[in-house]
Amino acid sequence: MVSSYLRRFYISFATSILDVPPRLLAFLLFLLLLCVPLMKLSGYLLTVLVLANINALFATSWDLLVGRSGQISLGHALFFGIGAYSTALFSHYFGLPIWATLLLSVPFGVLAALLVGFPCLRVKGPYLALVTLAFPLIFVRLFFVDIPGVINIKAIMGAEFGISGLPSFLPVPPYSPYQRGIAEYYVSLLLLGVCAVALYKIARSKTGIIFVSILDDELASKASGINTTRYKLTAFTISAFFASLVGGFYAHFMRGASTSTLLFGSPTAPGSFMVVIMTIFGGIGTIYGPIVGAYILTLLPAFLREIIVLVGELANLRLPIEEWTAIIYIIIAVIFIVAWSRGIATSIVEKLNELAEIEELRKDKKKGKKRR
Amino acid sequence: MRLLEVENLTKRFGGLTAVNNVSFHVDEGDIIGLIGPNGAGKTTLFNLITGFLEPDSGTVKLKGEDITRLEPHEIVNRGLARTFQVVRPFRHLPAIANVIVSCVSPRGARKLEWLKSPERKALDMLELVGLSEMMFEPAENLAHGDLKRLEMARALATEPDLLLLDEPFSGLNPIETDFLIKSIQRLHLDGYTLVIVEHKLHALMKLIKKVIVLHYGEKIAEGSPKEISRNKKVIEVYMGGGT
Amino acid sequence: MLEDLLINGATTGAVYALLALGFTLIYGVAKILNLSHGAFYMLGAYIFYASLNFLQLETFPALILAVIFVAFIGAIVYGLLIRPIIESELNVMVVTLGAAMVFQYMVILLFGSTHKTIPYLIPQLPLVEILGVSVRTQKIVALAVSLSLIVVLWIFISKSKIGGAMRAMAQDRETATLMGINTERLFVLTLVISASLAAIAGVLVTPLSVASPDMWMFPLIISFSVVILGGLGSIKGSLVGAFILAYAEESVVFLAQGEEHLRGAFSLLIMVLVLLLRPSGLFGKRVEME
Repeated sequence: MVSSYLRRFYISFATSILDVPPRLLAFLLFLLLLCVPLMKLSGYLLTVLVLANINALFATSWDLLVGRSGQISLGHALFFGIGAYSTALFSHYFGLPIWATLLLSVPFGVLAALLVGFPCLRVKGPYLALVTLAFPLIFVRLFFVDIPGVINIKAIMGAEFGISGLPSFLPVPPYSPYQRGIAEYYVSLLLLGVCAVALYKIARSKTGIIFVSILDDELASKASGINTTRYKLTAFTISAFFASLVGGFYAHFMRGASTSTLLFGSPTAPGSFMVVIMTIFGGIGTIYGPIVGAYILTLLPAFLREIIVLVGELANLRLPIEEWTAIIYIIIAVIFIVAWSRGIATSIVEKLNELAEIEELRKDKKKGKKRR
Repeated sequence: MRLLEVENLTKRFGGLTAVNNVSFHVDEGDIIGLIGPNGAGKTTLFNLITGFLEPDSGTVKLKGEDITRLEPHEIVNRGLARTFQVVRPFRHLPAIANVIVSCVSPRGARKLEWLKSPERKALDMLELVGLSEMMFEPAENLAHGDLKRLEMARALATEPDLLLLDEPFSGLNPIETDFLIKSIQRLHLDGYTLVIVEHKLHALMKLIKKVIVLHYGEKIAEGSPKEISRNKKVIEVYMGGGT
Repeated sequence: MLEDLLINGATTGAVYALLALGFTLIYGVAKILNLSHGAFYMLGAYIFYASLNFLQLETFPALILAVIFVAFIGAIVYGLLIRPIIESELNVMVVTLGAAMVFQYMVILLFGSTHKTIPYLIPQLPLVEILGVSVRTQKIVALAVSLSLIVVLWIFISKSKIGGAMRAMAQDRETATLMGINTERLFVLTLVISASLAAIAGVLVTPLSVASPDMWMFPLIISFSVVILGGLGSIKGSLVGAFILAYAEESVVFLAQGEEHLRGAFSLLIMVLVLLLRPSGLFGKRVEME
């Protein structure tokens, strides 16, 4: 008897959440995030949150391409890295201010999208995945080319160490590093907010509808008069726009750009692989999925680190933290993907929708109405 | 006016000749039936005409223009639309969004009346086929008969001059069949030119003025329904082991 | 030296072919894009190293042990990671890529990140004279072993019953399953074969350079560059593509006087060209209409 009462309470609570329009909910969460610095968190935690925002935007840009228009890209860090390097180059060699370098990160990312997207357009499924996977890995090697007497790309790009010495958003004297951290946090949150809204609007626009039509049935889309090739390229370009923008931001956040920005990433650094698991983990094909996934999977390593350090102290071992964090992180992420291939956020939303429908059926039955 | 001109169209798949030197034409206002046993090459012929397959030889001309090597969407935007034998809805999109896709295509958008938005036009199309109640229903939830109508709405939204229907009656119950017959008649009266592939001959014969019969990729007969029903070769093909 | 180029091209081609074959086989049969393929290569090399240094084995037993171990790991990867989500190609890619990264970190934990050298298969004979040129024997060994394995594999696939099952699966999945082929066992077997080939390639090639934990990426790139060139799922394509790619790369390196970085950039160029001109590869299936 108690259990059925609890069950009804749970259902009515769950469905009342649904009465709140999801956009309002998102806005409220955003307001909450705005207040985070007031909680006097450690500087370390603030940087983790900034990283979460970066990952979230990066992941959402990937989701538009893959989840919404159905083109598998396993090398999205290409755009991210190009954005990071463009910003770094303009900052380091030309001394441009931050807003200028960020703006300049975008055209190169878009250019890359056009160059990469064009040959990829005729390519489907597994081929597309392989090609997008290979592009950044091979592109990186170009950064090490040194043709004496002609051009020394290696020196310009800084080889393994990349370019460093980029300014951050607030100069440390006179501001404290903690204040700088807060500035970074707000900029990242603003960036995420604005871009997520933009991506949301694009997804809901007629262009977004056509993207989904291409995902569902490209031939049928063509039969409806749509030049799917052009729209696929558009998806690539829009996605790269946001990825390179956030890559530029990342460069200033890290005070530099290195070849790791073009690769798979790690639990503490964005990359092609990280963006994929965050999105799938959270729920592919939605706007909130990648954001939720990114947040959870960015906070997770920070959490894991503390545990591993603790375990190490208790067992009196010097555990290599990086490697153990990475291993456990990937294992957890993979387990979730294998068990919940629909994504956490999507599963929750579906469950809530299910409950709402059951609730409505119950109410209709009570009123004696017959449901179609 | 000669709307469609198909000349010597041939398509081979490895050792199999699916369509063998087929020629026919469609004039404006025609309503033509394309029949033949299973595997006769009817759908392949459609695919060749609509740009989904490239022929090995032969030409297709739409309103005098050679469209043989054009992309499917380019052909649609020149006024030739088709439906599919097995419905191909956009599963994740609601019914109205399915039609909006067509309304955003260059041709679908061009014919928008002043002040009409693509969404409005999509709704009108849904009303036309009787699906306006389901407009927000995700396509994957719709019944087969509704999906067939949705497909029709999508094709009509591209403002075609010539409509190719691939087995539009398949899977429909008698009520739906009746409705479709009336819809096709009305489309014809409204000025659409139609070519229909169909197995359900009783429904088809009520509608069409001219019949083309395919067998093993070749055109074996062409004429009015009466002439065809008396054609010896056709009878052989159908009685001897066809449908 | 031109002879250098010929021998290098042949060796590289044979090894590339070995790698690509495994990759294309598991895709053709099971539609699995196994992104941990390069990791099997790496694990082969490292287990070989471990068997030599920690178990004090001779080179050939160490090779056998490495192959068995990697085959076993392959089977586990299939059963635990791939099988539950095999319907989603994307998830399979993600999961196998994740596995590769986990293997990389495990290797760092067990062996450290410093580069390791592993000895030749026949350590007593480092150099040999061929056509007046001094050639590292390991290259000849690699060439010989790779070619033999390729021949054995070819015979196996074209003549044996299991090979027939593989070909059937690759051509028409539905009908093959209806014919009563035990897909589970076939898939595991195919992955095991694929992984073993990769492991052997690892043992053959790594003595010519060094072993490092991130060495799984390069063989992976090679595998799919070859496969894109030759056509996914086509054995002929992998063979032809491997040698074309190998000789092209060696020529570029030869002409640019050892600029190794250009090797990768060149694969990229070839890949882009192939995609523009013939998206399904030289021998791949031309998909015209779904």
